[in-house]
Amino acid sequence: MKIIESAKVKEKAYIEKIENGLTVIIIPKKNILKKYAIIGTHFGSIDNRFIMPKTGEEVFIPDGVAHYLEHKMFEQENGVNSLDKLMALGLEANAYTTNDHTAYLFECTDNFYEGLDELMDYVQNPYFTDENVEKEKGIISQEINMYDDEPSWKVYMNALDCLYRENPIKIDVAGTVESISEIDKEVLYKCYNTFYNPNNMVLVVCGDFEPEELLKEIKKRVIKKDNQGEIKRIYPPQEDGINKEYAEKTMDISNEIYIIGFKDKILEDKAEIVKRHIAIEILLNMLMGKSSSLYKELYEEGLTFVLPDLDYEFSSQYAHVLISGQSKDSKKVRDKLKEKILKYSKEGLSEEDFKRISKKVYGDYVVEYNSVEETARMFLADYMKGINCFDYIEKFGLVTFEYLTEVFEDCFVNNQMILSVVKGKK
Amino acid sequence: MDFDNKNKKSYDVKEGIKFHRIETNKFKTNLFSVFLTTPLNKENVTQNALLAAVLRRGTQSMPTQDQISKKLEELYGAEFNCGIEKIGDNTSIKFYLEAINDKFILDNKEDLTSKCIEILFEIVLNPLTEDGKFKEEYVEGEKENLRQIIEGKKDNKSKYAYDRCIEEMFKDKVFGLYKFGDIGDLEKITSEELYSHYKKIISECKIDILVSGEFDSDIFNLIKENKDIMKIKARKPVYNIEDEQRDFNNEKVIEEKLDVTQGKLIMALNMLNNIDNGNNVAMVYNGILGGGANSKLFQNVRERASLAYYANSGYLKRKGLIFIKCGIEIENYEKAVKIIKEQIKDIKSGNFTDEDVENSKKIILSVIQNIQEEQDTEIIYYYNQELVNNNETIREYMDKVRMVKKDDIVKLAEGINVDTIYFLRN
Repeated sequence: MKIIESAKVKEKAYIEKIENGLTVIIIPKKNILKKYAIIGTHFGSIDNRFIMPKTGEEVFIPDGVAHYLEHKMFEQENGVNSLDKLMALGLEANAYTTNDHTAYLFECTDNFYEGLDELMDYVQNPYFTDENVEKEKGIISQEINMYDDEPSWKVYMNALDCLYRENPIKIDVAGTVESISEIDKEVLYKCYNTFYNPNNMVLVVCGDFEPEELLKEIKKRVIKKDNQGEIKRIYPPQEDGINKEYAEKTMDISNEIYIIGFKDKILEDKAEIVKRHIAIEILLNMLMGKSSSLYKELYEEGLTFVLPDLDYEFSSQYAHVLISGQSKDSKKVRDKLKEKILKYSKEGLSEEDFKRISKKVYGDYVVEYNSVEETARMFLADYMKGINCFDYIEKFGLVTFEYLTEVFEDCFVNNQMILSVVKGKK
Repeated sequence: MDFDNKNKKSYDVKEGIKFHRIETNKFKTNLFSVFLTTPLNKENVTQNALLAAVLRRGTQSMPTQDQISKKLEELYGAEFNCGIEKIGDNTSIKFYLEAINDKFILDNKEDLTSKCIEILFEIVLNPLTEDGKFKEEYVEGEKENLRQIIEGKKDNKSKYAYDRCIEEMFKDKVFGLYKFGDIGDLEKITSEELYSHYKKIISECKIDILVSGEFDSDIFNLIKENKDIMKIKARKPVYNIEDEQRDFNNEKVIEEKLDVTQGKLIMALNMLNNIDNGNNVAMVYNGILGGGANSKLFQNVRERASLAYYANSGYLKRKGLIFIKCGIEIENYEKAVKIIKEQIKDIKSGNFTDEDVENSKKIILSVIQNIQEEQDTEIIYYYNQELVNNNETIREYMDKVRMVKKDDIVKLAEGINVDTIYFLRN
């Protein structure tokens, strides 16, 4: 197995693409009782148009199929629901769908191999019938309704609507009550056969394991499938600029929430992406983090009392910065941020702040290795993006003050901002 | 693995002030915490919530929040947090500081442990004062913030439904108080009053200091000889080891209207029968009823009837109550209540298998086994034990769960009845 390593955080990862095409990543952790296994396919809500490698057929699918498929994967031909079976083993099992991938996982202390049996079995053997596909519509509709009541979800979807005109990231992962009504077993099988090929999948395991032994056990549990070649995914062309600057919605809440967003450029070079990501995290903390002068002013003027969440989301199809917070006057927060950006652009960023906040961001990266769950999920998500996540620690020193200033100009100064707000009823 | 609690040692710093040291090498971080415990009552609940907020604003040596933040950023992003918790009929103000272990620092060695201890005690015991009271501006600012938090109670609808149900059930009891307090009481608090409340708490309340991680220095001495700890005196703390009893309701129905798409249903169950090992039997009962994917609620409300996306239950140990929660279409209210009641009746009549019992136990055992796998979980576990004078080891705890038999569950179930039904609708 190929070994990659981070001397600083004292962790190693063992990687191998096994015979049937599945990529396996094992991160051993001594002395930890918990074990975590997660298998993911590079298929998410943005993959709604593609060419099936075998037949060459171009397929458009309704919104929400990746997520619907995730729900239905647990159904087995013998009538057993795999989620029940995993829970009966005392394991914590779950699945989730994101914009760019779908993942199935379990966490346990005992019965790991029994859990792995079941996980590999249900993910490799779908069983969809007209009846069981129909039955799920009620459940998923309730899930969609639940999100509809969540202001934080609304403000996020509206922020994406501001940032993009056509981009598939705007599609709600679960789809809509209307779009899922079109889903049938045929479309589920089409997507399964295309995207659940081992060559499009990765299995990540984290816990107290001997990597070679574990790999042998994994190999026993995989099914041979033909390598069907590359899946051609069709996305709308990249667009310049944003869709609109502002979105507002009223809901029955008492505290107004907002997201300020910046659209970033999409980079091809993976090493460059990690570097830029680190720089943006440092910049976000310098601009609006706990010790920033802006946060202090907002706090003292009573404009905010919760530290905003600072995020950078990206894939091959999108890249943006999101600042999510709570304020009684979101527009004022945006205007003040604008002023700060202008001020730093004129007067320069503080090198002292950069040094101090670099320490903080580095520390945050180290903390991410605290749990088997977080570690495994991070490896999976970064694998889908073609990134080695140790690079965030090992290449940290490459982000210099000069580079930081460049990214600042590029991403924050010479860029349009959007604002999405959910207001309470007065 | 150490299930005999040998990794945890407790020491008396002074009478009424205890230090608990948890030694573990499972994490990248060290966690330092302080808990101030007092009996919950109408007079102090709002003051305590406000106090937690004011203390983090500034100290004698770091008079502003951004100065504290900058200090913490220098310590590789050590994370400070404080908050308020209702634990049975007690209220506890908790302070956390999490920092990466020195081993993972970029280049030069630094003694993060002693710096963390110093900062933590400085915040708790040496707050910024002006003319013998808290800084006016901070108190007024935090009053406004707290007002927004109390008003924001209804923003998370599922949580709101649960909080409201408890409020109704404990109308004339202290446990019915909202942990962030009451707006009417909040407006009246002055800076003088808050400061004298603080001085009273600091000199009278139960203080527990818990740390978790790898410490090479003699940390107990660091704590004993800390200048702020030296200042405070021994005390005979008052707090509730047991909670006050309430009278049971017989299917009291409460309906409330808010602008929701999905109805939030809460059903509270009380327990009449006092049986041996009752707490552990109740946990296993709860697992069968609504613990996980193979529970009766999940199987019947979600999987069979497709009424809900979430349908589960939780056991509130200190109160001996079980709370069922689900999100449903408003018009399905009667249907859902009927199905849920059938499940309760089912268990009463012994309509479940030994396998169901074993499955439920497995999940509970894995949760117990995993207490040591998360630092804050382990700290909270020992703190809760401290509050009820319980020295049971993790091994003993697991053994008692293993002892639970089907007969015990039926015996307990015979006395389990619907106490209150709360429904949040539009």
